[in-house]
Amino acid sequence: MSDIMKGRPMKFRILEILYDGDEIWNYDLVKQLMDEYGMKGDFHRDSVNFDLIETVASGFIESVESEIDTTGKFREGSLLYKYRFTSIGKAQYEELASKVHKKKEA
Amino acid sequence: MNVEEMKKQNTKERVKLGYIMAILCSVFWGAWYIPGNLSFSLTPFTTMGENLVAQYGYEVGNLLLCVLITGLNALFVVLVLMFWCAGLGKLKEMKRSVCELRCCTKYYFLGAICGGPMAIMGSYMASYFIGAGFSAVSALCYPVIGMILSIVWLKQRISTRAKIGLLVILAGGITIYSLDLMENLSAGGSILGYVGGLMAILGWGIEGAVAGKGLDVSEPDVALTLRFIMECVIWWVITIPILLIAGVPLLDGIMGIFEPTTLLVLLMMGLTFGLCYVTWYKAFPLIGVGRGQAVGSLYGLMAVVFILIFCGTFSWIYIVGAIICIIGTFLLFTEKTDDMESLRGGASDE
Repeated sequence: MSDIMKGRPMKFRILEILYDGDEIWNYDLVKQLMDEYGMKGDFHRDSVNFDLIETVASGFIESVESEIDTTGKFREGSLLYKYRFTSIGKAQYEELASKVHKKKEA
Repeated sequence: MNVEEMKKQNTKERVKLGYIMAILCSVFWGAWYIPGNLSFSLTPFTTMGENLVAQYGYEVGNLLLCVLITGLNALFVVLVLMFWCAGLGKLKEMKRSVCELRCCTKYYFLGAICGGPMAIMGSYMASYFIGAGFSAVSALCYPVIGMILSIVWLKQRISTRAKIGLLVILAGGITIYSLDLMENLSAGGSILGYVGGLMAILGWGIEGAVAGKGLDVSEPDVALTLRFIMECVIWWVITIPILLIAGVPLLDGIMGIFEPTTLLVLLMMGLTFGLCYVTWYKAFPLIGVGRGQAVGSLYGLMAVVFILIFCGTFSWIYIVGAIICIIGTFLLFTEKTDDMESLRGGASDE
């Protein structure tokens, strides 16, 4: 998986993680993003999940499978979603990747 | 409830939240008209306006006053939004977003140009040179531009029901202001007022679509704060310094904002307009630019409600307009949400 979007705006990174075509559950995505961006707590968990919901609404990713959270992986009783990329999302990511500013070498 | 039913319920709740945001936007927008209009009659601005008119003539003098008040509006909105973003812990995301000039920041800058110097300034011009009724009606038409651009440029799909809902809300808004509008139009007024009306329609319409494009890849609270910071740059780094260097006496007005009543009114302007934009930008990713702007244009009705509360002027036409607005809103609220998981994929023609 490429990591040119690491440390850039959250939605850039969401698109990058899913770009390879993997299907990923929202709780795994949220956990990965919270770890990368140094976030903690329920407020930030829901905030990151909301970014995923907005990205779905934009049509860049779509849910392919759902199940009810019975074990508290994300939030007990809520609906868990497995996401994958759409063709619109692929085009959006490629446009972003060609335009992001170059980071200074460490 | 099984998984499929819960999925539909979640989409329905997302759409409902989007509509709640759009309604709140209209409430804050309507409330903004009270401090917005009051600002022109505040201590430093009334005398400054008279001086500017005496020095530069009626049209240019008032235009210069509009520049200063629009700039102050943007400044106080930024103040409010910085607290808002800090409270939500989004300052780091703001730093990450501002660096991406070609991916998202350019949209905020374009949004700032359309929403600030074009729309807000245009709205003030229409109000000042023709009348409040004309200004309100012209600004109310902006969702038509926004909806067209969201379909053509953003490729968002909008059902026929939502389009009809938008037109009905607009008809309601125009009805509310029809008496004022006819009075304003029969009185004539300066051509600058009509230019201002057109600027408001195009400005807010284009801003919505541009914001929608930027919001695809950025966080709403961050996006709108950056959009207002850009607007502040336009006013406070470019326009106002140029005017001061050119010898326009705006300094008295700028220094006069620390007068307690003036400061309070400007803070109320910042608070109402800031929250109006928070909810406007939050509605777009949830229900799309077209629906967000359509329900947001209920501000025409809300403005009348707030003016009724604070000023006590009433006309029977408000009731007729309000009923039409409610019918339009009902049409949008009762739109089927089954296929609205993605705004670019659903919304069949029902």
